[in-house]
Amino acid sequence: MTILDVQDLRVSFGGIVAVADLSFTVDEGQICGLIGPNGAGKTTTFNLISRLYQPDSGSVDFDGTDLLRVPPHKIAHQGVFRTFQNLALWPGMTVLDNVMVGAHTRSKQSVLSAPFRFGTRREENRLREEAYAILADLDLAEHAFKPAAGLPYGTLKRIELARGLAAHPRLLMLDEPATGLTNAEVTELAELIRDVRDRYDLTMVLVEHHMAMVMAISDKVVVLDFGQKIAEGTPQEVQANPEVIRAYLGGDA
Amino acid sequence: MSLPKRIAQGGRNHRLYLLGSWGLLALLAFLVPFLFAETFAPELFGNKYTVSLANVNKSLAWAVAILGLTVLTGFSGQISLGHTFFVGTGAYTSAILVEFFDWPYLATLVVVIPMCLVIGLIIGIPAVRITGLYLALITFGLAAVFPSIPKIEQLADRDGWNTGGSNGLRVSKDLETPSWLPTNGIAEFLQGIPLIGGMFGSDGLPRRGADDVYVYFLLLLVAAIAFLLVRNLMKSRPGRAIIAIRDNPTGAQVSGINPAAVKTIAFGISGILGGVAGVMFTMMAQFVGPDEFTTNLAIFFVVGMIVGGVGTLGGSIIGGLAIVFVPAWAGQTETLPIADIEFGAEFGPLILGVLLILLMFAMPGGITSGFRQVRARLVQIIPRAPST
Amino acid sequence: MDLFLARLFDGLGSGATYAALAMALVLIFKATTLINFAQGELALLGAYLVLVLGVEQGLPIVVAVFLAMVITAVFAAGLERVFIRPFDPSDHLPLVIVTLGLFLGINSVAGVIWGHGARDLPSMFPDGNLYSRGVANLSWVTVGNVATVLATAGALYLLLNKTKIGLAFRAVSSNLESSELVGINIGRTLQFGWALAAAVGTLGAALAILTLFLEPTVMLRVLIFAFAAAALGGLDSLGGAVVGGFVVGLVRSMGVGYLDFVPSELGVGAAVVVIIAVLLIRPTGLFGSEQVQRV
Repeated sequence: MTILDVQDLRVSFGGIVAVADLSFTVDEGQICGLIGPNGAGKTTTFNLISRLYQPDSGSVDFDGTDLLRVPPHKIAHQGVFRTFQNLALWPGMTVLDNVMVGAHTRSKQSVLSAPFRFGTRREENRLREEAYAILADLDLAEHAFKPAAGLPYGTLKRIELARGLAAHPRLLMLDEPATGLTNAEVTELAELIRDVRDRYDLTMVLVEHHMAMVMAISDKVVVLDFGQKIAEGTPQEVQANPEVIRAYLGGDA
Repeated sequence: MSLPKRIAQGGRNHRLYLLGSWGLLALLAFLVPFLFAETFAPELFGNKYTVSLANVNKSLAWAVAILGLTVLTGFSGQISLGHTFFVGTGAYTSAILVEFFDWPYLATLVVVIPMCLVIGLIIGIPAVRITGLYLALITFGLAAVFPSIPKIEQLADRDGWNTGGSNGLRVSKDLETPSWLPTNGIAEFLQGIPLIGGMFGSDGLPRRGADDVYVYFLLLLVAAIAFLLVRNLMKSRPGRAIIAIRDNPTGAQVSGINPAAVKTIAFGISGILGGVAGVMFTMMAQFVGPDEFTTNLAIFFVVGMIVGGVGTLGGSIIGGLAIVFVPAWAGQTETLPIADIEFGAEFGPLILGVLLILLMFAMPGGITSGFRQVRARLVQIIPRAPST
Repeated sequence: MDLFLARLFDGLGSGATYAALAMALVLIFKATTLINFAQGELALLGAYLVLVLGVEQGLPIVVAVFLAMVITAVFAAGLERVFIRPFDPSDHLPLVIVTLGLFLGINSVAGVIWGHGARDLPSMFPDGNLYSRGVANLSWVTVGNVATVLATAGALYLLLNKTKIGLAFRAVSSNLESSELVGINIGRTLQFGWALAAAVGTLGAALAILTLFLEPTVMLRVLIFAFAAAALGGLDSLGGAVVGGFVVGLVRSMGVGYLDFVPSELGVGAAVVVIIAVLLIRPTGLFGSEQVQRV
């Protein structure tokens, strides 16, 4: 069943078309890889779906909801969460608190209840336990009480993933999760992503440059070049597509 | 025993540690008014430094004002140089209600809190768009406007209630110690303790200032409640949201936090605390005037916040004490061993300015961060994993 | 009509002094992207120097103003070296606090040295009016103020756009890191900015004192309007500072004059309301450059 339906998405910045009439769909439970050369518009597509950019035209339908009608901060409430290429964590907070912020949409305490602790302690304990469990799940428990600042890049990437999981999203979008990781770490990450998808019941879209990983874990791959979709299909289909080979190698291959 | 001493969170030692440190603090807070009721004047380099209880009370009020600034600037990252607007509004409203409508002092909070909340929200809405130094300049403008408001003819020279114009408004209702509170008895008891009794003076509380002790306890209660509520808030979901918006708005937004709403609410909360501080000021001073709420005071609030430590609750108390006592003591400094100059009250702001710059060189995180560094060498709390 | 002219002249005259101080603020902002809260007090110090040189030492007033500008510029360069340069230029909070500390310190020193009594400064411009019509008088002071400010703005424009140090200054203000890479001496350039700002501020104070009395708190009152002018024009635009200064001056004189419900005490209030309105539409002022944020 289709859960994410992107139709004719288009945006341009100062006359340069970054994403041109892009359409693709993702089925529930799929891992969809979004690949393409540098500047192909992959991250821009992420920014459009997560509403950080405003598209010129097109539609983004998530399980029957038109995401373009949802304000940016309400996207998470719809069950859509994302990570960032350059990380968007809070260096001053502890790792545990970072993950707990991810659960913002899943808690109810407000400025009226929190100062007086009207029934907030139980929820707070529950959030803390869940956040810690997710960290333990991703082998991050030892870092839980450290401030995020100063931890290695690969660890921070996993913390961002943990934050996403704390929101219990239905669609998790990962922006270059393998960047800056060693080969061994990439293998581990690939396993982790599949594993997480199964256990947390997720649909995933990932932008990634690490071809081997994308091909290994994706159920479906969408290839972009100069903002346009040039191919779509299973990893095998895409790898055999002459257009794709040309885009990556240049010239007439 | 090797330092730092490691204590497991939630264990018996941790409970003892918490009980001990908070108990000491509470005992100190309890003893303070009796120490200072009869002017307590330590000497240094031949200068006498007085610690009047009235000044302690004023520090409590300013600590709550700085707490408001801490929420706004420290946690929410929005710079305000105009907190006197809230403090002044609270103080004037309280004074008018007490003087002309015979309300009890504390009851005026019922009006002041919603009023300052609304003003805070109104200022908070444009502040979502106008940020950084532009916001600082606008709020500074508000601070500059405030002293003119009570001088407006329609408010100063009207029949019935009025602001008293340039002369200010004296509140005639005294806060008298209720008969059930045996402050005098406690003072006599403390004075009777061998060896240290002399520190508390003799012959009970002096008649003048006896009620200051009562006001102290009232203000301490208000301040304690304010601090507790803010602490609870900051350790919860809305508190995390406020900090998340400050440190990484994008990350906060994709996590489902509404930046505009959170920033506006932070302004509202900060406004409330400013208003409460104003009521506290009226209680201790029994006087409000346009010259009490100047731009200088607004700057002093920021100074106090930074001296105490930006983004720390305890720093607000240190800041409140600093902005009252440093200028007061600077004014009482007549000689210093460094130079043969006659000092006087006019040197107050100079000494405060010099201290401020020195502090930035020596301890840029404020006094609280310095304190935490020292504490970390002595005691280390090992956090406990939540049980699952 | 006469009344309108009177208010126009009044607004232009005070607007010129706001513009001068706003230019000083903008110079510092361009150099360091921070607000120098001590700017007004440096200017105050300059005004007292004019008093010492021009009145007590009997120098011609124009010479006194020029010397005061030079002395405050040197003093500001020294302040920059001692108090500002040791800090990381990209971490703003400590720097703002240091300028607040300087503000408190300089103000207090001025009060100690020169007392709190109001003093008068001799005028740089002839007495009397250039033009009179009913209650409206266009005095030589107003004309002089406006002309001096415009000339200063022109001189600054030439200095920043036609000289080597001006080029360095503009480079540092647009990109600190790249400037360092191409070999610009950052510290020297920022010091130049401080000195220049102090000189312009002193000139502004000397103009402001022509219509006000010199006392330790006088600059604080003017500074609020200068802040308003700088924010209105855009904190990094010199031209904006000039325009902002005149707009704020006119808003104050017209607003208080024509709107009956605005009591004269609320002149500052009228200015603040206008700035909020402008900033809501353009958050970085009329002529300020927009801050671009990348995701």
